[in-house]
Amino acid sequence: MAIALAAVICLTSGYLLIRFGWPDSQPAFSLRVMKLSLAGGFGIGISSITFFLARMVGTDRFAVWDIALLVLVCTLQYLARPRPSAGFKAKAVNDFEFPGWLRPILAAAFVFALLAAFYSTTTRAITHPHGNGWDAFAIWNLHARFLFLGGRHWRDGFSALIPWSHPDYPLLLPAATARFWSYAGIDSPMVPAALGLVFTFSTLALLVSSLFQLRGSNAALLAGIALSATPFLAEHGAAQYADVPLSFFILAVIVLLHFGSDPGPETQSRRLNRRWTLAGAGAGFAAWTKNEGLLFLAALFLAFCLFSMTKPWKNSAGGLPDRGRCLLPPAVLGAAPILAIIAWFKGSVATAGDLLSAPELMIHRILTPGRYGIILRWYAKEFLRFGSWWIVPGTVLLVAFYFLVRTKEAEREPLLRVSVTALTLTLAGYFMIYLITPLDLYWHLRFSLNRLFLQLWPATIFLFFLFVGRRTPLNNLKMSPELAENHPETVAKLGSPT
Amino acid sequence: MPAPSRQSARTAESIAFLILLSLLSSAGMIFTSPRPRHMEVDDIGARSDKRFAQLKAHLPANGVIGYIGETGDSALPDYYLTQYALAPLVVDRSAHRAIVIGNFPHTLPSEIPSDLKLVQDFENGVLLFAGKETK
Repeated sequence: MAIALAAVICLTSGYLLIRFGWPDSQPAFSLRVMKLSLAGGFGIGISSITFFLARMVGTDRFAVWDIALLVLVCTLQYLARPRPSAGFKAKAVNDFEFPGWLRPILAAAFVFALLAAFYSTTTRAITHPHGNGWDAFAIWNLHARFLFLGGRHWRDGFSALIPWSHPDYPLLLPAATARFWSYAGIDSPMVPAALGLVFTFSTLALLVSSLFQLRGSNAALLAGIALSATPFLAEHGAAQYADVPLSFFILAVIVLLHFGSDPGPETQSRRLNRRWTLAGAGAGFAAWTKNEGLLFLAALFLAFCLFSMTKPWKNSAGGLPDRGRCLLPPAVLGAAPILAIIAWFKGSVATAGDLLSAPELMIHRILTPGRYGIILRWYAKEFLRFGSWWIVPGTVLLVAFYFLVRTKEAEREPLLRVSVTALTLTLAGYFMIYLITPLDLYWHLRFSLNRLFLQLWPATIFLFFLFVGRRTPLNNLKMSPELAENHPETVAKLGSPT
Repeated sequence: MPAPSRQSARTAESIAFLILLSLLSSAGMIFTSPRPRHMEVDDIGARSDKRFAQLKAHLPANGVIGYIGETGDSALPDYYLTQYALAPLVVDRSAHRAIVIGNFPHTLPSEIPSDLKLVQDFENGVLLFAGKETK
C-alpha cells in the first residue's frame, strides 16, 4: 500500500511538472501518451532529488518532503498557468506514404515487436531479481542500500575504501530506489526491477508518441519496431543498470527541444519557453543519472553555442524564426537546480573517480597513437554488432532504409544540427574517455562500449525517423492570424495564413 | 505545396523486407528469453544476504570492518557480494581492522593471518575474527 502511494506521488509530481511546462487543454491521445511517458521518468527524477535532499538535511520524514513537493508543484502550476496554446501547432509533416497493403503489416509488426520486447524484459527481470550483471549490486543497488539503511551514516557508502563501487557516480537511480524502499520498509529487489521496466517502456512510448505527433503514424511505428526489436534494450532494461534510464533522459531532451521549437504563447511574447525549461531539467536528470549524462549535457551546451549565436533560426516543424540564444536561458534555468545538487554531491560527498587521477599518465596515453586505432576499430565493430540483433544488425537496417527513402532536398534544420552535433560530441567524449582510461583498454571497451551506444540509440532512432526522407515542409506551415500580424517578415517569406 | 513523397511499389516491398528482418530479431528475443515454465531464478544476491544474516547480528550497525577471502576467479565477486550483503557497513578488503570477517564459500583457509583471532565460525564459510586496527 505504502509503495503504491509512493508510486502515485512520483507519477503525479512528474505529470504536474510536465503539465506546468506544457499546458494543453485537450491534448490528442498520442500527446497524452507522450506526456505520461515523460511524467514517469521525470517523476522518478524528482522523487530521487527530494529523497536525496531529505538525506542531506538528515531527516527520515520522506513522505513529508514528497507531499511538500507535490503542494509546491500544484501551486506553481496554478499561479503560472498560461493561456491554452494558440498559433503554431506541432503537426505531423511528410510522413512516409506507404501503399495500403503495407500499413497493416507495419501495425502488426509493431505489435509483435512490442510484445516480444515486453516478454523478454519481464521474464529477464523475474529470473534476475537482483539485476543481471555485477554493476547492478556492486554499484547501483549498493548505493541504494547505503542511502536506505545508512541513516545518518549514508555517506559511508561513498568512501574511498570501496573505490570499485564508483563513489562518484550520480544518484538518480539509487536515490529513487532507496525512496521506494523507505516507503515499503524493506529493500525489495522488485523496486529496482520495476524501475528498469518503467524506464524501458517509457523510452519506447516516448519515442513512438513523439514521432506520431511530429511526423506521423508510419514513421512512429517504424521507429517503434527499430527500438523494440533491439534485443540489447530488453536485456538491459531488466539488468538494473543506469544506461537505459540515461537513454530515456537523452531522448526526452532531444524530443522536448523539438517540441519546444513549436512555440506556444510563451515564445510569441518572448517569455520563457517552458518546454525548453523541461528540456533543461531533462538534461539535468541525465547528468544526475550517470557521468556520461554530464558529458551529454556539456556536448548539448557546446552544440547550442556553435549553432545559436549566428544566424536566426527558421524551424520547419512549425516554429517561428528566432535566435537560438533566446532559447538557451530557459533550458539553463531548468538544468541549474539539478546541477547545483550534483555539484554539491561531487564536491562534498563523492570520492573522486580514477579517470583523471594521474595527469602525466593521461598525457602519455593521449600521445600513444596505437590507442586511437584500437578505439576506432572497436567503434566500427560495435557499429556492426550493436544491439545483439539476429542476422542483420539494426544499424545496417537503418542505413539500408536511409538509401530507400532519402530525398535530395534533405533538411538542414538548426535543431537537427544541434541534436546531431550534441550526440556526435558525446560519442567523441566517450572516445576521449577510452583514450585516457587507466583501465585495460580492451577490457574497458569490451564491457562498456555497447552500453554507451545504447545510451544514444533511442535518440538516434528518433532523429533518424524524424528527418530521413522528409521534404522541406516550410510551405506546409500554418500560421494563426494573430501571429501573422506580429511577424510580417515571416508572412513575407511563407505567404499569408490560410 | 509540394506533393508528399510517395514510395514506389518496389521501395515498399524493400521496406517490408527490412521490417521482416527486424522481426527476426524480435523472434530471437522470444527464443532466447527465459521460458515461463522453466524459469531458473538467479537469486545470488538473496543467497548471499542469507549467508551473512547470522553474522550481521554480531556486527555494529555502521562503520568499517576488514575482509579476508579466497583467492582465484571468484574472489572479487565474493567480496562484492559480501559488501552488498553487509551494507551500510563498509567492508575494507584488508585484515588490518578491529573486526575482520572471513568469507570462504568453497574451501576454508589452511592458515589465517597471525594477528587475527577467530571469534566465531558460522559454519557456512563465514568467519568472524578480532583483529588489530592499524589504519
